[in-house]
Amino acid sequence: MLELTIMKQSEFLTTVLPFKDKLYRLAKRLLVSSEEAEDAVQEVFLKLWKGRDRMETYKNPEAFAMTMTKNYCLDRLKSKQASNLKIVHSNYQHSDNLQRKVELQDGVDLVFQIMDQLPEKQRMVLQLRDVEQFEFYEISEMLDLNETAIRVNLSRARKTIREELIKKYNYGIS
Amino acid sequence: MELAKIETLLEAYFEGNTTLQEETQLQAFFASADVPTHLEPYAPLFVGLKISRDEQLVKPLVLPKTNNRSNFWKWSIAATIAVILGVFGFLYFQDDGLTKEQQEALMAYNKAKEAMLLLSENLNKGASKITYIQAFEEGTSTLGLVNQFTETKNQFFK
Repeated sequence: MLELTIMKQSEFLTTVLPFKDKLYRLAKRLLVSSEEAEDAVQEVFLKLWKGRDRMETYKNPEAFAMTMTKNYCLDRLKSKQASNLKIVHSNYQHSDNLQRKVELQDGVDLVFQIMDQLPEKQRMVLQLRDVEQFEFYEISEMLDLNETAIRVNLSRARKTIREELIKKYNYGIS
Repeated sequence: MELAKIETLLEAYFEGNTTLQEETQLQAFFASADVPTHLEPYAPLFVGLKISRDEQLVKPLVLPKTNNRSNFWKWSIAATIAVILGVFGFLYFQDDGLTKEQQEALMAYNKAKEAMLLLSENLNKGASKITYIQAFEEGTSTLGLVNQFTETKNQFFK
């Protein structure tokens, strides 16, 4: 009897698969490493699958899955800090040396580097707005933040990137 | 789109005050070939965002097997537990199947065993006392050695 109300696998996949890449990109923005981001999405999918009979009751499964991914990644980051594990960058070496940053030839690489160094909240907001192009009310639901806080964090993140880009540009022409 | 409008939009963008539609306009502008020199520093930002948006999860996701399968497991576990309980129950009730006579015999046997244990315990205590006496004897014999020593010493100092 209960079986009838439970979502079938194919039904589940058609609901959930369309936003798997968004979950992955958010996880990668937070965890930086692609392997860890893949694991995170896999974990979130299993959790969603276990709760699939409840999923039909959510008015926005995508926002729900994004929130789950965010929570999972933040937990991962917290436990990493607790065990004093250093977050190692997969693409490039971190260095506080300004000289090196400025010397980065590719401006896009610099943008990625700055994005991954932003505070978590700014990173998430920038990711959800500028990469995934969600409306503010959607981001508000996903992150449990009010719209003003979202705009403030977004503005800070964008300005940080602008400052670094202008620094690089000025260094390049001087 | 005229440049002045782009500059205004860009200012609003950094303040967090643009709509999604306006942001799309900015992206289109910076993706085009003719970005004026003074706006060039901003191009990597919009290009980078576009690249980020195209990234995809390559690793396939794994889902557990379907419902029927998990029910099969549940039933097989339940069946295993039922069999184990059955076997234990059988053995347990078998034990209780002793006749009155047999039970009395068992009780008598246990009592006898207890008495024997008590006896052997006391015996062991006695035995340990014997070893004390042996130690005492050893002590007295070393005393004899000391006496010998004084004797020889006295001879020496005579």
